[in-house]
Amino acid sequence: MTVPFAAKRLGKELQKISNSLPPGVELVSAENFEEWLLDIKVLDDNPLYQNQTYRLKFRFGPSYPIEPPEVVFVQLPDRPIPMHPHVYSNGIICLDLLGQQGWSPVQNVESVCMSLQSMLTGNSKNERPPGDEDFVRVNRQRPKDIQFYYHDNDV
Amino acid sequence: MESFDVPDSTDWIGTPLAGLMQVEQAFRCHVCKDFYNSPMITSCSHTFCSICIRRCLSVDGKCPLCRALDQESKLRGNWALREAVDAFVKSRDAILRFATTPVTVSTPRSPKRKAGELEEPVQDAQNKRPRMTTRSSKAKAVEANAAVMREEVDVLESEDTPDYEPEPEDGLVACPICWTRMKPWQVDRHIDKSCSGSPQPQTLPSSSTTNNRGGSGFGSARSLFQNPPTPTKAPDRLPALAYSMLKDTALRKKMGELGLSTAGSRQMLEKRHQEWITLWNANCDSAKPKRRSELMHDLEVWERTMGSRAPTMSRAANMGAQIKDKDFDGAAWATKHDTSFKDLIAKARGSKNKAVQKEDEAGKTGELEPTPDDGRGINGTVIVPDLSKGVVVDLTGRHQANPSRQIRR
Repeated sequence: MTVPFAAKRLGKELQKISNSLPPGVELVSAENFEEWLLDIKVLDDNPLYQNQTYRLKFRFGPSYPIEPPEVVFVQLPDRPIPMHPHVYSNGIICLDLLGQQGWSPVQNVESVCMSLQSMLTGNSKNERPPGDEDFVRVNRQRPKDIQFYYHDNDV
Repeated sequence: MESFDVPDSTDWIGTPLAGLMQVEQAFRCHVCKDFYNSPMITSCSHTFCSICIRRCLSVDGKCPLCRALDQESKLRGNWALREAVDAFVKSRDAILRFATTPVTVSTPRSPKRKAGELEEPVQDAQNKRPRMTTRSSKAKAVEANAAVMREEVDVLESEDTPDYEPEPEDGLVACPICWTRMKPWQVDRHIDKSCSGSPQPQTLPSSSTTNNRGGSGFGSARSLFQNPPTPTKAPDRLPALAYSMLKDTALRKKMGELGLSTAGSRQMLEKRHQEWITLWNANCDSAKPKRRSELMHDLEVWERTMGSRAPTMSRAANMGAQIKDKDFDGAAWATKHDTSFKDLIAKARGSKNKAVQKEDEAGKTGELEPTPDDGRGINGTVIVPDLSKGVVVDLTGRHQANPSRQIRR
C-alpha cells in the first residue's frame, strides 16, 4: 500500500489503454501519473470535425479517481480546438462529467475520451460558447476551479 | 516512471481462455480497477472495495455507478464475492501460465506425479489433466519430459516456502500423517475418518481455496472447520463526525484520543480525521485486519501525497507549480505582484549599496570577493522558470520497454 491510490489506478489504466483503445482514440504520451496526452478523432461524417484530430490533455490530482481529472483541448499547429458550443477557444471544456457534480470514480480516461467523442459527434452548431471571448481573455482559473453552470441538457 | 507489471484482465486476450477476461473484469472494483479487497455492497446493490466506496461516499455520498444516495453505515460485506475473488486470485497465476503455455507442453505430466502430490492445490488445474491423458500416451510424455522438468524446477522452488514457516501459535496441532492442523482432541477421530493419508499443503487461515483432492467434498468442509472465519476479533468501527458541529479544540481532543497528529489547519485536521476513519473502517471489513501500526503507515503515505506534506499543498510549492505551468500568464502575475516586486527591488538596491560601501572599506585588502552576479536579486529580477518545458515522449516503444510481459504472452 505504499503506492498512492491514484498512481495505482492510473498504472492499471495505462496498462489497459496501451494494449487497446477504442477507435479514434490514441495515446500520445503518458510519462508520469500527472499528465497524459491523447488524440481523439470524430469517426462519423459530421462535417464540422471531418479529417481533424484533437489533442486532449489530462491532468490527474492525487485524489484521482475520487476527484475528476482536469481535461482540456490543446492547440497545436496540426491540432485545432474543435468548434463546439461547450468548448471555449482556449480549450477549456464545459462538461458536467468533468465537474465535481457529474464525475464518478467509475469513469476513466478511456470513457472520458469516448464521451468527448460523442459530445462532438452529436453537435451540429459551428459556434463557440456564449461569452467565449470575454471568458478566454479574463479567465486565469484552472478549469477545475471554474464554477460552470450547466444549463444545456441537450448535449 | 517506475516500471509496472500490472496484472490486468486483458492478459487473457489471445489465450485459449479468453472468456476469463469477463470473469476477471467481474472480479475487479470499478473504482480502483484492482481485485475486490473486502468487497462491500451498497443499498443500490453495487459492490466496491471497502476503502474505495468509503472514500467515494465521504466525498459526495453517492454510489459511483448509479449516483444513488447512500451512507457508509448502510454498507454490508459481500462475503460470497470475497471468497470467489480470493479463490480466483489465488489460482490466477497458475491458470494464466496454463493458458499461455503451448498445449503439448502442458499436457503430459505422469512421470512426476508423485512430486506433484505435494504441490499446492492451485497446481491442480495443471496436474489434473495429465492424470487422464498420460496413461494412454506414455510416448508423448517422454517427448515432453524436458519441458516438464523445466517447469518442475519452477514449481519446486515456489513450493519450498511452506516448509520454512514457523509453527503457527494458534493452539492447534498438526496431524502426524497429513499435517492438517486441528484441535488436539480431534486428531484421533480425524485419523480414523478423514485423513487423506498423505501430507497436505497447509492452507493459511481465511483462505477459501477448496481442496479438490479426490472430490469427496471433505477438503472444503474440513478447511472451513479448522479455520474459523474470524480468527481475530474485528475492531470496532469509528463513527463519522459532524465536523461543522465541532469546535477546534473538541476536534483536536478527539484526534489526540485516536493518536493522530493535530498539526496543520482546521481543514487539514478534518481531512486527516476523515482519512483515518476511512482507513480504519475499511480495515474493520477486512478478513485479515492489519495492525494499527500498518494503518498508521498508510495514513503516513496519505500525509505525504495528499495531506499536510503533499507537494502541492504547501503555499510556496503551489506557487512554484503555478509559475512552471505552460499556460502561466506572466503579465497578469507581474501586475498582481507589482508592489512586492518594487519592494524587493528597493531592498535589493539598499543591500547593494551597503555591499558597495563594505567593499570600499575592505577594498584594499582584496579579500572580499564581490558576490557573483547571477542575474537575480541585485536588480530585482524575478526568477522566471523555463517555460518551454513539457517534454513529449512517444509511447510506441512502451511494449519493448517491458520485457517481462512480452515473455508471458
